[in-house]
Amino acid sequence: MEDYTKFKLKRKEELDAVLADKNDLFVVACNKCFKELDSFDEPECGLFEEIAKEQGKNIVGSAQIDFLCNEPLTSKAFQDLIPQDAKNVFVISCGLGIQTMAGLLDIPVYAGSDTVTVDGYHGMALTTTLCEACGQCYLNMTGGICPVVDCSKSLLNGQCGGAKNGKCEVDKEMDCGWQLIYDRLEKQGRLQELLDKPVELRDYTKVNHKFVSEYVKSVREERYEGYYGGIHPTEFKELSEHIGLVAFPDPVNVVIPMSQHAGAPAEPIVKVGDQVKMGQKIAQAAGVVSSAIHASVSGTVVAVEPRRHPVSGLDSLAIVIQSDGKNTLDESVKPAGDIDSLSADEIIEIVREKGIVGMGGAGFPTAVKLKSPKPIELVLLNACECEPILTADHRVLLEYADEVIYGLKAMMKASGAPKGVIAIEDNKLDAVELMQAKTADIENIEIVVAKTKYPQGAEKMLIKRVMGKQVPSGGLPMDVGAIVCNVSTAKAVSDAIQLGMPLIERVVTVSGNRMNKPGNYLVKIGTSVKDIVNHCGDVKGDDVTVKIGGPMMGFAQADLNVPMLKCSNGIIAVETIVKEAVECIKCGRCMDVCPMELRPLYFTKFALEENWEGMKAQNTMDCIECGCCEYICSSKIPIVERIKIGKTAIREGK
Amino acid sequence: MLITQLKSQEAIEALAQGKTVIINCHGCKEVYFAEHEADAFQKELSANKEVTQIITTDYICNPDNLKLQLKKHTDVINAADTILVFSCGVGIQTVAALFEGKKVYSCCDTYPLPGFQGVTPLNVDCGQCGECYLNGTGGICPITACSKSLINGQCGGAKEGKCEVDKNMECGWERIYRKLEKLDKLDNMKYDAPKVRNYNNPNAE
Amino acid sequence: MRITELFERGEFVLTAEVGPPKGVELDHLIKDAHEYLKTRVHALNVTDNQSSVMRTGSLATCRVLKDEGLLPIFQVTCRDRNRIALQSDILSAALLGIENLLLLTGDYTTLGDHPQAKPVFDLDSVSLIHAVKRLEEGFDIAGNAVDGAPPKFAKGAVVSPCSDSVDVQLAKMEAKVKAGCEYFQTQGVYEPEKFIKFMEQAKQFGVPVQLGLIIPKNVGMCRYMNANVAGVHVPDEMIAELQADKEKTKAGDTGVEICARLIRECKDYAQGVHIMSLGWENRIPEILDLAGIAPITPVV
Repeated sequence: MEDYTKFKLKRKEELDAVLADKNDLFVVACNKCFKELDSFDEPECGLFEEIAKEQGKNIVGSAQIDFLCNEPLTSKAFQDLIPQDAKNVFVISCGLGIQTMAGLLDIPVYAGSDTVTVDGYHGMALTTTLCEACGQCYLNMTGGICPVVDCSKSLLNGQCGGAKNGKCEVDKEMDCGWQLIYDRLEKQGRLQELLDKPVELRDYTKVNHKFVSEYVKSVREERYEGYYGGIHPTEFKELSEHIGLVAFPDPVNVVIPMSQHAGAPAEPIVKVGDQVKMGQKIAQAAGVVSSAIHASVSGTVVAVEPRRHPVSGLDSLAIVIQSDGKNTLDESVKPAGDIDSLSADEIIEIVREKGIVGMGGAGFPTAVKLKSPKPIELVLLNACECEPILTADHRVLLEYADEVIYGLKAMMKASGAPKGVIAIEDNKLDAVELMQAKTADIENIEIVVAKTKYPQGAEKMLIKRVMGKQVPSGGLPMDVGAIVCNVSTAKAVSDAIQLGMPLIERVVTVSGNRMNKPGNYLVKIGTSVKDIVNHCGDVKGDDVTVKIGGPMMGFAQADLNVPMLKCSNGIIAVETIVKEAVECIKCGRCMDVCPMELRPLYFTKFALEENWEGMKAQNTMDCIECGCCEYICSSKIPIVERIKIGKTAIREGK
Repeated sequence: MLITQLKSQEAIEALAQGKTVIINCHGCKEVYFAEHEADAFQKELSANKEVTQIITTDYICNPDNLKLQLKKHTDVINAADTILVFSCGVGIQTVAALFEGKKVYSCCDTYPLPGFQGVTPLNVDCGQCGECYLNGTGGICPITACSKSLINGQCGGAKEGKCEVDKNMECGWERIYRKLEKLDKLDNMKYDAPKVRNYNNPNAE
Repeated sequence: MRITELFERGEFVLTAEVGPPKGVELDHLIKDAHEYLKTRVHALNVTDNQSSVMRTGSLATCRVLKDEGLLPIFQVTCRDRNRIALQSDILSAALLGIENLLLLTGDYTTLGDHPQAKPVFDLDSVSLIHAVKRLEEGFDIAGNAVDGAPPKFAKGAVVSPCSDSVDVQLAKMEAKVKAGCEYFQTQGVYEPEKFIKFMEQAKQFGVPVQLGLIIPKNVGMCRYMNANVAGVHVPDEMIAELQADKEKTKAGDTGVEICARLIRECKDYAQGVHIMSLGWENRIPEILDLAGIAPITPVV
């Protein structure tokens, strides 16, 4: 792979001169970008230190940093890195890195390297095609060959007299750009266009400081808004956001897996042949971090056996109930009281008993979350629904606003939190307006409008934006006094208290570019995904991928004969994208978008090498698997897959 | 790094002749490719012209990846008279090279933003002059911080510390002077020998 | 004649500025020069596409003035030509008998009437002064020897004493002197205290400085300069002065008075005066009279 890095160590004579009157040096080297990932030992740092030592200089310390020009991350990295006795800092990097360091430090910063002249700007992939970014693209008149880049003189009106044998007079290895243009236009039968075109004059005001600086400012603001990193994928929410919630037709039978939550799978307490009623407990929690499960229909238990699980793709224990079509309610389904009359512990007990788990996708048992061992100052509801395509939570906000607020109040009482916040992304302004009106008179509940940026809905990103706090590495929201829950979970808590209804039904968005009839449905847990997809007109085309969840973190299904779980928030059909991974080119984009401020490029490398120590050192366990890195990767590497391999190995103590 | 803006509607409409295939590159959407604008415009175009396919993919500047993504559209592309590309200059040239016999047109103008890699442009830029001046200027690049890229000090055009070319821009040499003052290195401004640029690629071996 | 000789023999050197037209009819310019300037100023600056507005070349106009028996100063900016063309034009100047230069970086292209042009700035004022000095030593800046006897010039440059970054300007002035600059003409001064303070610092360089003056024609012009022109500041009292008597200002008399007063207040601290009349060449004699500066014997 060619090396497109941008800098070379200055010549020894020049370095000797610059070093002459300086001592107590700290050396910073940038791990080069746009080159092979393999070699970490950049020779420049060592070479420089040798030269300095030759002169008898005292080197106080050194550091090797990735993407030195990434100002927010570099600024963090250098907070306490440079010792007090350092008097001068030498930086080995391209001009961007040196200037970034000079801007951050108060002591003098010197350049140990020169930036190599590179013509034009190469694209996001490694390519020899260049673009001079002139702001007045001439490619339409030249059949797609750039006269600014491919002609040494950047002529716009045809060949000069210097070409010899089709080669440029400036560089005999280079083809004459205008010869290439002529040949291309001839091939397309467009030579007359060339002869007829008016005289071209370049406008050098197109690219000016005002234009560039305004753009830079707006991009940087949007990029660092709320929290570091994140991406803006196309949303496609217009496919279903206006479609009201509809109850999905009752299923003929339901397959209810015992593992629908974080922690130990539930244990069945019914057997084949038992008659069950809707809302009746059919499996009990197996330990503290576990959850009870209830029947979503009334009927007969026809099987308690392994069935295909939508997340693992493997078979795991499930209870299968044949519905009798009557939806007879169990006696346990009755109102428990109201928030004022119930104590905090009583509320938590109801939440536990009614099998409520996080409905945003993680499925963490809510009762365990509410009974926090640390003091809680805020219950934060995630109403962002930051995954593209999904609109179910949006509909919950619009159609069950009162229940959501009730659930929030209950959670605040249960956890002792004095404040509650509902965070809504600004792509749902109708929901914002409604919720603001509904909470106007409630002093301790606030609506926070967050700028839309994926993954805003992730708990750590929410905490960053709403509370301005960073959850410590390896920590949990309770470490900063917060509990984060999904809005559907809040509604479920409300139903549990006000109706006595356990979690047996949930909202789901069925959508995507390849789903024939998108919609938002209330679906019974255990309903077959295949039935739901059929009901929505099935998928269009052959190259379709169906996922449960959203496009970023959802699970692709090879077989649609799987059931809906408590935490399944979407069924989407999207075009299958065929990708071929190539070597990492150290472009730095993954580090630019990782909301947890990690270095995904190392994950890919270490996973392949089975370097689990390395992965641990890179804080792989902090990764929230949001998929931003994979989305932006110019080499199309399946980064999340590799992260998961690493995490599994680390958990297994390897 | 690169960023794009759509050409004018009239200009693009004039290019869409006969059966037209549109290729959108969203590999750079993080750099504010005018996605919604392009989308709305393309819908309009589809209503008035013969748009046979709109293909959206990413990193079309990567020729191997591009070939892979365009495989399933071979028939439509072969039958097309015109291919309109919404991407930066690199992407369009790549597509044009792939379909040398076809009329491939650019629907965007490309502009530069400071920064080499990653998606976020920087507040500092590097002029890639190959003869780094940063040691004498306290770490502020005179090539990029000065509109005229002067290397021997301020011109007479600065007013209230702002550049004569753009009043929103600070005079680069004023910034350098103040930084050197802060570092107590004003001696750097003392004249030794006049600095003159070497435009003939000083790094050529 | 090189004007450095005048400075050397202690003369208070007077110069004015003329701008070539955007065309090839110079009659008006020559007539004004003869009538108002020949016996009042020692030499005439000829501007080089001033404010980035394309006009007939300074070099050719200088030659025309020389043929008319006047002493031209060839202004050269770095905006439009690279080092090859600049050195070439310097040699051309010597060939045409032009011995006085004013070497500037130049305004940016966007300020003028061809804003889309490509700005050059291959050299700047400092490196241009250096290039001229090298030619005088018999070499171009690539190190090649000049054929025959090398040229010799009076090398001048500009400085802005009333700039809001006057310390930065002083640093640049020092660099210019070290590169070989032999005299300075300042940007338009309206604040004598600032000029005097500046000269206290500048005199250490031991190089003559001419007080630069721009005739304040009216209030609008002053406000425009305050907002847009670097290194120029017309104080409020002076604007008030212009406003006070509208008829007098319209007749140009207030502006003339102000210039004369500025000369009187500053001349003890300067080695000469450079008047930028912006088309009011006919008022220059009056200004000098009011300032108590007698007519001169033309040097050519």
